[in-house]
Amino acid sequence: MSDTKKVRVLNGANLNLLGTREPSIYGSTTLAHVAERCVALGAEHGLEVEFLQSNYEGAIVEWIQEAINSCDAIVINAGAFTHTSIAIHDALRAYNGYKIELHISNPHLREKFRHTSYVSPAVNAVVAGLGVGGYELVIKLLAETLRRDRV
Amino acid sequence: MKVLILNGPGLDDLRRMDSSFDKELSLAQIEQECGKLCAKYGIDMTFRQGDVVTELFEWIGRSAAEFDALIINPIGYYSYEAYEKFEEYRSAIKMLAHLKKPVVEVHLTNIFRHGADLIEPLREPDAKIGFICGLGLHSYLLAIESIAQQHNLQGRVA
Repeated sequence: MSDTKKVRVLNGANLNLLGTREPSIYGSTTLAHVAERCVALGAEHGLEVEFLQSNYEGAIVEWIQEAINSCDAIVINAGAFTHTSIAIHDALRAYNGYKIELHISNPHLREKFRHTSYVSPAVNAVVAGLGVGGYELVIKLLAETLRRDRV
Repeated sequence: MKVLILNGPGLDDLRRMDSSFDKELSLAQIEQECGKLCAKYGIDMTFRQGDVVTELFEWIGRSAAEFDALIINPIGYYSYEAYEKFEEYRSAIKMLAHLKKPVVEVHLTNIFRHGADLIEPLREPDAKIGFICGLGLHSYLLAIESIAQQHNLQGRVA
């Protein structure tokens, strides 16, 4: 691996609708804008940020598998797959780099079916309910901590 | 801008934390690092720890009037007793929610990795509660960064 640390930000189902879907919960910023900010912020700190989204569970699984030998950290907002996908849980367990689960809203304050996350037990840390700003905060944190090789 | 950082039962001695936790870190160090970051943003920080839930309740009550945001690490050990105590936080959190005060719940370790489901996140549907776990000291620092971000506070160059 090169000296530049690499972070893969994975977004699951319906996150492509960010900005138009229930803006009272998720805000009016689009995912493209969030991606742009994250990539720019990473570059400022010498961090390569790959920002991906898919509505297909299998795509997320494959992106996690690809990251096994190519990325230093994964940030995953699996969307509704969070509460259903054992496949994503297993893929994350196979990934030994640093893993952060991210959510725009706090799922624990919402419907009961969002209270269980298959992602949470498979990651190092969970960040939720900080709005879309959570993405930038997590990228900044990873930029600082990966440079020191510890979180 | 005033922030109350409240630490619940068991957090006075972090050596009791489970094995996933960096045993070198103490609550005094966390307080020091939080203080530095708050100073950078011009945030007035109050940092407290208590083992008695009624006292914590009182602090939260006072915080509603005196503080703009609350960062809370509800508990530092995982037991059924802790789980029962947890319920007592609910009414205090509810009060803060009605006053539209932002709350960020933090935990040093990933509470979802303990397996026994002894600790559950605070659940108050009407509240604005952020949630951060598993980042050690950075759980607190990220909470402060988030509050600064939401208030558009610009960090001063030291």
